[in-house]
Parts: sequence; structure tokens; C-alpha cells
Amino acid sequence: MISIERLSKAFDTARGTSHLALSDISLDVAGGEFVSILGPSGCGKSTLLYIVGGFVPPSSGAVRVQGAAVTGPGPDRGPVFQEFALFPWKTVLGNVMYGLLEQGAPKKIAEDRARALIEMVHLKGYENFYPKELSGGMKQRVAIARTLAYGPSILLMDEPFGALDAHTRTGMQHELLEIWERDRKTVLFVTHSVEEAVFLSDRVVVLTRSPGRIKEISRIDLPRPRRRAELLVDRRYQDYVVAIEKLMDDPAEVRA
Amino acid sequence: MTRLTQIPGLPPLVAAAGLLAAWELAARVFDISGLPPAHAALRELPVILTDKESLLNILDSIRRMVVGFAFALVFAIPVGLMMGRSRLTAAFFNPLLMIIYPVPKAALMPIIMLWLGVGDASKTLVIFLGVSLPVIYHAYQGARAVEEKMLWSAAAMGMDARARLTRIVFPAALPEIMVGVRTGLVLALITMVTSEMIARKQGVGDILFNALAMAQYETVYATIVIIGLLGFVIDVGFERLRAHLVAWAEPAHEIAAVGST
Ligand SMILES: Nc1ncnc2c1ncn2[C@@H]1O[C@H](COP(=O)(O)OP(=O)(O)O)[C@@H](O)[C@H]1O
Ligand SMILES: [Mg+2]
Repeated sequence: MISIERLSKAFDTARGTSHLALSDISLDVAGGEFVSILGPSGCGKSTLLYIVGGFVPPSSGAVRVQGAAVTGPGPDRGPVFQEFALFPWKTVLGNVMYGLLEQGAPKKIAEDRARALIEMVHLKGYENFYPKELSGGMKQRVAIARTLAYGPSILLMDEPFGALDAHTRTGMQHELLEIWERDRKTVLFVTHSVEEAVFLSDRVVVLTRSPGRIKEISRIDLPRPRRRAELLVDRRYQDYVVAIEKLMDDPAEVRA
Repeated sequence: MTRLTQIPGLPPLVAAAGLLAAWELAARVFDISGLPPAHAALRELPVILTDKESLLNILDSIRRMVVGFAFALVFAIPVGLMMGRSRLTAAFFNPLLMIIYPVPKAALMPIIMLWLGVGDASKTLVIFLGVSLPVIYHAYQGARAVEEKMLWSAAAMGMDARARLTRIVFPAALPEIMVGVRTGLVLALITMVTSEMIARKQGVGDILFNALAMAQYETVYATIVIIGLLGFVIDVGFERLRAHLVAWAEPAHEIAAVGST
């Protein structure tokens, strides 16, 4: 589905030098797979996601989606950002309908679908609210519904729950899994929380500290559907979390 | 005390009454012909406002102001937005603006009159210039501040750069643009009067300076009051419109009407 081939990214810095953010990343993500990208802050997780989204060009290497090289953003890859990035001048309904109308859907159909999605993310009754009138968790639900609305086959989520409090966050993780269980979209999910990655994913990709390289890829063999309350007392879940956490603060890791 | 200030319209009424009282008092104390008492000037108001010729002059001024203002918006908003989203456009326009911004637009009037004469065209052009600059500046700032992720979200929906500029950058920058437009309105009024002061033929400014030349000081002050009221009405009307248009925005824009002429 997604194939990332020997991807590197260097940014020009203000001092005129070049800063290597990602180095030689190769990764294949199968259709319907939930893959998390985990790593310390500044290791290039967001950059990797933005390159797959087509928002940022790579310095070398390529990204293919279903065989076709990515050259820019497209409705097959729907982003969800930590900053929500809702359109503040549009209501909840207007935001969720936006992409559908953009894709040329008739107004009536767009509205019906948007209302169904708003209900799915538990925001029924808030259709006519503006983003400024919503809490962080509600905003992120709108953002997810807005992206789901135009039917991308791939979701690119950049720490979508990073700005939420712990309680809202675990609630949103459950909701995301419920949504994902329905149509099993391919998901690339960036996070710096090991527990979040293990709870959600089929595979967890751990990146090294800057420049980001793939350090290890762990397959999470936990049955689905997953319930947090059950997993927390599940030995296998605990083992995954501990193993990956160890990997994350491995002192043997030194920079080149 | 906070109770009283919450009654809509009361504070400005009190301020206006205070100003009139001070004026009346000063006129009586100093007793100079250049400062007629407030009541005498106010008596002239209905005279001016029922005189057909004066009314035509006032409407004439307003028409020029509206035309200059409208052209300025149509020109300045796209330019400002494009500057905010394209480094090249910004690099081109920025130096020009930095040179023009501090120049009092009325000071350009004599030169413009050499090109376009003393008629409508010159005056409208000066108003256009006066309004354009603050609007460009605020549209530019507003466009620059648009969250990149918002534009990316739109791009993922299939919107091209042009559609993003008109349908994402423009509404996202609208609260900031409105700050510039309000400054622009004040400047439109100021440049309207000053342009008529320099190119005397018709308009409110012409009434004002004719009266001044003929030492009809009551009329002079009454005209100033009319201009002030006009500004007040425009500002209140605009504030209503603004509140309606950008009600969705986070309340971050406390705006002050300041600017150079
Ligand atoms: N637009 C940019 N210009 C220059 N450097 C950037 C830019 N975006 C990211 N970087 C740098 O690339 C590195 C990776 O950033 P990022 O992908 O945001 O990391 P993460 O999401 O893992 O925290 C950081 O060192 C950051 O400073
Ligand atoms: Mg990041």
C-alpha cells in the first residue's frame, strides 16, 4: 500500500548549513495495517509523515502509494494534525462537509454523510457550533470526521491526541480503534507515547534520535478488538511496553 | 459604575455632552470670533443639512469616498494576501510600500492634480492610496499568519493553490483584514476632506474652507461636527458588520483606529 524507499531529508538551517532530519528510511506498510512511528522529540517523525502526505518533498528516496510515486498531497491520504487545523469560520457541519463538496459530491449527499460521521464521533447536537466553542477533544473528533468524510484510504495522524489530557486521550484511542475496526484503513500514526503505540498498532517503528533512522520494528501480536482495561493486566502487553521503552532510552545509542 | 458603562450608547453620549459643554464654556470665557459657542454652531447644522447645494456637496464627497474605498479593497486585499503567501510577491511590494507608507497621501495631491486635474479622479485616487496601504499591510500580516496545517488539510482535499488563497487564506485572514479596513475607513474620511481642501471645487471640504474664508465660523464648526458624525456613523456601522462577519473568530483582535494619512 505505502512503500517508503531509502528516504532521507535534510533541511537548510538559518546558519546556512544543512541539517539531516531523516536518514535512509525504508518501510512498507500493507493495506489495512495500523503502523505507529515512535521516537524521541525532534527525531523526524512528523517530517516522515509530511513527506508521505506530499506536503514536504524528500531530499532523496521516494514514497509510493499503490505503486504510484507521491508528488504532492491528495485525497487518498488524509492528514490529522496535533493542531487540529479546523477551518474556524466553518461550523462543525461545514468543516466535515468541506472535503466532500471539494470532491464534487452533491450538497445533500455531503450533508447526510457529514451528519452520520458527526454522530459516529459522538458530536451529535454540535453540528452548528464553531470550532472556538469546542474543547480540544471535540475539535480533534471534528478533524477526524472531516478527514474520514472524503474517504482517504490512508490516514496520516501526527500525534493527534498529543494536545489532549490523559483521560480524553485514552477515550479517543478507543474511539479511533472502533472507527478503524469498521473499515480497516491503512494508518500511519505518529506518537511519542510507547503505550499508545502498543495499544493501537499492528507494528511499531522505533526511530533513533536525530537524524531519524529506523532502529527497530516490533510486531504487536495482541488480539483485537483491544480493550485498554484488559490489556493493562495482560502480561504480553506489559512486555511489549517494557521492551520498547528499553529500546527508546538505550544508552548504547550514540550519534554518528 | 460598571453598570452605567454597560448601558449601550450611554458612554459616548456622556462624552459628547461633556465635549459640547467644555466647548460652550471655553467660547464664553475666551470670547474670540474664531471660536463661536457650541449652541451657535449647532444651530447651523439644520441650515446646512436642509440646503440643497450643501447636501449635494456632502453626497458628492461620500460618493468619492465610497468609490476610492471600494477600489482600494478590491486592489489591496488580493495584493496583501498574495504577499503573505508568496515570498517573491512580498519581496517585490515590500520596498514600495515602505516608501509610500509614511508619506502623507494628501502631500501627493498637488502632483496627482498635475496628471489628473482637480476633479474627481485626483481626489478618488488619493483616497484609494490612503485606504490601500493599511489594508495591504493587515491582509499581508493576516495571510502570513495562516496556519500551515490548515492549508495542508485543504490541499489534501484536492484544493489547488489558487483555491486555497481565495477560500482558505482569505477567510482565515479576515479578522486581521478587518483591522486594516477599519483603519482604512478612518483614512478614507481624512483623505476625503484633505483632498477637497487642496483641490477646491466641491465637497464637504469645500464648504468648510469657503466658510472659513468668509469668516462664517459657525458654519465651519457645524461642518466639522457633520464630518465627525459621519465618521462616527461609519465606524459604528462597520463595527456591526465586522462583528457579524467574524463572529466565529477567537476574540484576539482588540482593534484601535490609528494610522498615518
Ligand atoms: N521546516 C523545517 N525547517 C528546518 N528544520 C526543520 C523543519 N521541520 C523540521 N525540522 C527539523 O527536523 C528535525 C525533525 O523534526 P520533526 O519531524 O518535527 O520531529 P518530531 O516530529 O519527531 O518531533 C528537527 O530537528 C527539526 O528541527
Ligand atoms: Mg512532531
